[in-house]
Amino acid sequence: MSAIAYYLEDEGIATTGISLVRENTESFRPPRFLWVSFPLGRPLGVPGDAAFQHRVIARALDLLNRSTGPVLEVFDEDAPGATEEAFVCPVSFVQPNSGEANTWSSRLRAEISDLAPWYEASVMQRHKTSVGIFEQTPIELGIRLGELLDQLSTPALDIKLLLEDLKAYYLEAVAAQPGASAEHCARWLWRETVLGEAILALRGRMRGSHDPRTREQAEALVPRRVLAELPE
Amino acid sequence: MVRLSDLPDYEARHLMAKNGVPLGPTPWVHPGQTLRARVFALITTAGIHPAGETPFQSNDATYRVLPGDSTGANFAMSHASVNFDRTAFQKDVNVVFPIDRFRELLDGGTIGGLASAHYSFMGAGLEPPAYERSVRALAGVLRRDGVDTVFLTPV
Repeated sequence: MSAIAYYLEDEGIATTGISLVRENTESFRPPRFLWVSFPLGRPLGVPGDAAFQHRVIARALDLLNRSTGPVLEVFDEDAPGATEEAFVCPVSFVQPNSGEANTWSSRLRAEISDLAPWYEASVMQRHKTSVGIFEQTPIELGIRLGELLDQLSTPALDIKLLLEDLKAYYLEAVAAQPGASAEHCARWLWRETVLGEAILALRGRMRGSHDPRTREQAEALVPRRVLAELPE
Repeated sequence: MVRLSDLPDYEARHLMAKNGVPLGPTPWVHPGQTLRARVFALITTAGIHPAGETPFQSNDATYRVLPGDSTGANFAMSHASVNFDRTAFQKDVNVVFPIDRFRELLDGGTIGGLASAHYSFMGAGLEPPAYERSVRALAGVLRRDGVDTVFLTPV
C-alpha cells in the first residue's frame, strides 16, 4: 500500500488512504494515511454501516488539505465489535451412508451438499456472491480436493485458489444464519467441518513434499491463528 | 484490533517483520484544489476482481480492473494471505472497496468526479519496489482518465 502511494505521488497523483498496521506505514513514510484500529480485512471498519464508513473516509480525505507531509493520523474510533453470543452452526452434517466408502471425496461432497440451502439463502439475501474464481461448482471443487487426498496425488499449483473458492462458499453459507459472527464462522470452518480437516491434512502432506514450491505453498494454506491452536 | 499490543506474539512478530525503509524522500503533491474539484480513483490491495477473471497468483505485482459501473456484487477475492477476515468483504464489498460511499460523495457534490475504472492489486509476498513498474504504468492510465487523486485501501 505504501509503495503504491509513493509511486503514484511521485507521478504527480495525490493519494490518501487507510493504514491498518501503523508500524508498517510509519516505517515507509508514505505521503498521507489514516491509521485505523480495525481488524485486518476491514479497512473501512464495519460492513453494511454506511455512516461509519463515511466517517472514516471523511477523515482520510481531510488529509488532502495538509500543506506538508508525510502525514499519518489516527482515527479515534474503534469499530463496533462483532457479537460474541454463543453460536451453534445449525447445519447438522449427515455422515455418508454406511454402504458408501468413507472417502474424503464422499465426505466433502456430502458436506457441501448439506450447505447448499444456506448458500442459496445467502445469495438471495445479499444478491451477490464472492464464489466464482473457478467455473466448476463447489461440489466439483470438493470432489477434486477429496480425490487429491484419497489418491495421494500431488496438488496442482492452483490448489490454494480452489480452497479460497470453497472457503468462500462455506463462509457465505454459514453467515446466512442468525448470530453468525466472523470469529465464530472461522472457528466453525477450521474446527468442525470436513473442509477444515481436509485442508489441514493436505497441508501436512504438502509439507512433506520433495518439491520446494509445494512445501512453500503448504505454509500459505492455514491461518497462523489456527496453527497456533493446534495440539503439538 | 490491529494494535500490536492486542495481538498474540507470533502475529505481532509477523507484522513487525513487514516494516521497511522509505523508498526515497516522501513525494508530495501540494494541495491546491478542493475536494469538489478532484476526480478520484479507488485502488485496493485486497486482491479482488470480477469473478471469472484471472485470479492473482502468489508474488503478483499486476493489477486487475474494477469497472467504474460495477456494483461489486460478483467480485471474488484471490488474495494469497489466509490471515485476515474475509467475511466482512463477503457481506459488503465497501469494507475493502468503498465504491458506494464514493458514489454517494459524488452524488452529494462532495467530490468532483470518479474514474471510469478502479483497480485492485494483491498486497502480499513482494518487496515494495516490485510494484514500481505496474504502478507507474497505471499512473499514465489514471491521468488519461482525468484522475488527480487516489483513495487507497489495504486489507
